[in-house]
Amino acid sequence: MMSSTRRHNLLGPAVLCLVLLMAPLFIPTYWTMILSEILIMGLMAISFNLLLGYTGLLSFGQGAFFGMGAYSAALMLQAGYQNLLLILLVGILAALLAALIVGFFSVRLDEIFFAMITLGFGMLFFSIAHNWLDVTGGSDGLPVFTLPSVKFFGSELTFYTPINMYYLVFTLVLVGIILLWLIVHSPFGLILTSLRENKQRVAFIGGNVKILRVVAFALSGAFTGLSGVLFCLFNNMATPEFMHWSFSAKPVIMSIIGGTGVFLGPLFGAAIFFVLEQVIIQFTENWMLFLGIVLVPIVLFFPQGVFGTLRNRFFKQGVK
Amino acid sequence: MSSQNVLRIENLGHSYGKFKVIEDISLAIHQGETSALIGPNGAGKTTFYNAISGKFAPTRGKVLLNGEDITGLPAHRVVDKGMCRSFQITNIFSELSVAENVFSPLIIQQKKHFKLSGNIYRDKAITEKTMHTLEQVGLADRADQVVANLAYGDKRLVEMAIVLARDPSVVLLDEPTAGMNPEETENMIALIKRLAKNSGTTFFITEHDMKVVFSLAERIYVLHQGHLLAQGTPEQIRANAQVQEAYLGRKVHA
Repeated sequence: MMSSTRRHNLLGPAVLCLVLLMAPLFIPTYWTMILSEILIMGLMAISFNLLLGYTGLLSFGQGAFFGMGAYSAALMLQAGYQNLLLILLVGILAALLAALIVGFFSVRLDEIFFAMITLGFGMLFFSIAHNWLDVTGGSDGLPVFTLPSVKFFGSELTFYTPINMYYLVFTLVLVGIILLWLIVHSPFGLILTSLRENKQRVAFIGGNVKILRVVAFALSGAFTGLSGVLFCLFNNMATPEFMHWSFSAKPVIMSIIGGTGVFLGPLFGAAIFFVLEQVIIQFTENWMLFLGIVLVPIVLFFPQGVFGTLRNRFFKQGVK
Repeated sequence: MSSQNVLRIENLGHSYGKFKVIEDISLAIHQGETSALIGPNGAGKTTFYNAISGKFAPTRGKVLLNGEDITGLPAHRVVDKGMCRSFQITNIFSELSVAENVFSPLIIQQKKHFKLSGNIYRDKAITEKTMHTLEQVGLADRADQVVANLAYGDKRLVEMAIVLARDPSVVLLDEPTAGMNPEETENMIALIKRLAKNSGTTFFITEHDMKVVFSLAERIYVLHQGHLLAQGTPEQIRANAQVQEAYLGRKVHA
């Protein structure tokens, strides 16, 4: 018989939340900032994995939507807008729109061709950000000098200290991740997984593959845009590098390290990525070289990513 | 035109460049009647199936489903209109559970595929229909199993459940017993007979195994080199000298 409801183990995520909530009290400020970065990039990686892990599409242009979020925020702050909610909303909408357009032209392709066209679009966005001096500040990027503040129980809450910034990031990343979790486990989410498994079959049960994929792509872009807005606030800066293909490769690497088959896998991938960077950078400038050396055995020995493989080994039997 | 003709094909043809794979095929299938399309390899059976099910648009001719022109509609629209198909090579969602394989067509049928929240397992309209469909094909006790772990014959049944989930008026089955052992074949024949009788579904199958064809089909169409060579009851087809010569004589000791 079919189990009436599927059980989700919420203990792990609850503990993780608690740890993240308490962490700044026990770690140095520098690591609090690293943790903020992990959370932001983790959100970007989970949004990306909505495409790779759930829909079966390898997008190599996520940087474009991250950048759309970041530049929208920077432009608004420079123009004097101080409403955090408005900045978030505009950033997300800008990324969503960009993703709708890119998605419209890209989703008819598959696999490596899809990766290449999204990479191409990403580089198109990069070129615009890099060359349109009047608006984007060119290669220097757009600096942000004032951050929006929030009224919190009657008092004005600012985000100039790393601790306050961390809790802002934590809250918004948490909201983003919860929304993504709901999407992944919704009827739409099951259809996406069906698409990953067999897109021809989806067409032959009545699903419009192109529209379904465009919607998935746009949603992924929107959440990537949210992470872009957050990174602009955290970094006090939007730069064209966000849209470069090498930046778009980050969520790919993080998802593969962490595991594309597990919802939180990419977040763990982001954590491993940044911790490795911090450790390696103490010894050498060429940390990407050593990242490569670490990446190869991970791909070889953890076929479902570090988190995915460990979870499947200890907690439940995987497929086959 | 008789309104009982649930599926009607008029002068259907398809070419790849100058090569005519199928040509001038006309047939009319009655509501509730199980029919079979047979023919030697390369006769154009698969092309015919693909052209009427929306895999691609036929170059010539018309396809009418329940009196409505569906010629050249994309696959998902053909399914919406009430015709669903299986494939020669099992076409299912391997890493999902048996139940989830049936959820997908139902989610789409009930237009919940853009619903971004909510637990499907708590959606009675979907779970009850899923269990009903799984009971029909005899997979109810394996609802929670991941499809990849099932035996081959059971995977074919999963595809059957996917195809049946949306209550199509016409079901196209492309070699439903291909690769099955004798016992699985017997089960599949019994299943199709039972479904045709109980639900009134119109089955249109292609099959290599003549035993399957003659035990299921009330009407047989013979395709030979892209043309419809003959059609009739199983007895008429057995007795047809042209068919004997083109096809049956070599393959079946009837």
